[in-house]
Amino acid sequence: MSAAVIEATGLTKTFPMPAGPVTALRNVSFSVSPDEYVAVSGPSGCGKSTLLHLLGSVDTATSGTLLFDGRDISTLPDAERSRIRLTQIGFVFQRFYLLPMLTAWENVELPQGEAGVSKPERRARTAELLDYVGLSQRAQHRPSQLSGGEMQRVAIARALANSPRLLLADEPTGELDQSTGEQIAELLDRVHADGNAIVVVTHDPAIAARAKRQLKMRDGEIVAGAPA
Amino acid sequence: MRRRFALLLTTVIALGTASLAGLQPAPAPPSGDVADILVSRQLLESQDLAVGDLIELAADPDGARARAFRVVGSYEPLPDPARFTQQRLEVRLHLQDMVDMLADPTDPQSSESVSAINVALHDPEGELEFRRSVFGRVPGLSVWSTVRGDSANPFVVLEQFHLAIAIVTILASTAFLLALMVMRSDERRETAGILRLIGLRKGRVLTQVLIEGVIIAMVGAMFGIGLALVAQDGFNQFFQWRYDTALVFVRVSPKVAAQCVALAVPLGVVASVVASWTLLRREVLALLRR
Repeated sequence: MSAAVIEATGLTKTFPMPAGPVTALRNVSFSVSPDEYVAVSGPSGCGKSTLLHLLGSVDTATSGTLLFDGRDISTLPDAERSRIRLTQIGFVFQRFYLLPMLTAWENVELPQGEAGVSKPERRARTAELLDYVGLSQRAQHRPSQLSGGEMQRVAIARALANSPRLLLADEPTGELDQSTGEQIAELLDRVHADGNAIVVVTHDPAIAARAKRQLKMRDGEIVAGAPA
Repeated sequence: MRRRFALLLTTVIALGTASLAGLQPAPAPPSGDVADILVSRQLLESQDLAVGDLIELAADPDGARARAFRVVGSYEPLPDPARFTQQRLEVRLHLQDMVDMLADPTDPQSSESVSAINVALHDPEGELEFRRSVFGRVPGLSVWSTVRGDSANPFVVLEQFHLAIAIVTILASTAFLLALMVMRSDERRETAGILRLIGLRKGRVLTQVLIEGVIIAMVGAMFGIGLALVAQDGFNQFFQWRYDTALVFVRVSPKVAAQCVALAVPLGVVASVVASWTLLRREVLALLRR
């Protein structure tokens, strides 16, 4: 097995609340290797999304360490964590989170521009990605002119824009009908088959079943599937 | 055409300007030479006069000892902000004509003496020295300055009043602008969250907001100046018509425009940045949360 893309050790996350602190994650440890497809499932409120947010460095753990390519990112300043999100991690969310004022093409091109990719390279990569997700014909459409499935495919293309080492997906089929969800699941399979590490958080057993490894969570802890 | 005016002399200046009131039926033409006279545009229009008309002027309100003059032209009185509500029914006549007209026939010395002289000093700072000098040479002669101090000058007071209104307006506008920018920023909360989510740094988003703020503030300032220029014309035209004067009531000068831009742009930028910072200091997830 090759070196882990991401390695969590003893991750704990506690949220301060008016009624008292709430611990969403308790001492979670696991790792993801570069060619893995991991599904995290469990009941609502078990800490799946919190775990995904920590892995994606959009939130910081209360305690524990998180190594990304061997580097502890839990203590990095905001600017460096932003840089990692921009170049090393791709996100796919249930609500797509596309920029409504930009076209599909611009949404996919934006992260590349921010990462300093030259214009000719950006053009080539954007065209390649939109073709990859089957939306070449919809490149100049804005999100409001796309269906849910199309928006999610644009979101996947954007997530892959800077060739990240890890793709994180939070309920990627949550707002889609079964048939469209199936297409998105197949697209994620293809992304994985092309050599990307994926961690997907899902309620859907059918989506979880596609992953090579399944982690089950309950009450902020991994109760099954984590490596020994 | 002949008209006779009863002359009420209230003001005398260099060439001799008289304010007029009352129009009486014209008597028979006086004998001898008829002196030339200029009448103000307002007088020309209000009395339906024309160049070449003969008019009579008298220092006595009853019209006694009237003298005939021929209207040889009209003029626009120098606009005076202190008198803009007065109807400028005025004439300009030669000084000698005026002296003759005002002379008391029972006092042969009346045309040789004056009761007051206005003196304009090249250096107003030398007023005190001038007063001492005159008083030393002609004891008993009263000498006083017509220059008012800032606290007594109505236009200085008016300007200070305008300044106070401007400061209050700017403070209120800034608060209003800030509230608008905060609302506008909050509308874009999710956009800011998405930009942060895909890896844009806070500084990068803030720079974008800053550039946007500068552009909006510049466009706003230009729009404001354009609006002021249009309003200026309308305002001047209305009040010039209302008071029948050539006085310019409002003027948007380059200095005023530059001051507006110098105030509006930094305020707009500060309001944008403050409003945006209230968003950007939040965590990414807080921005994305519904």
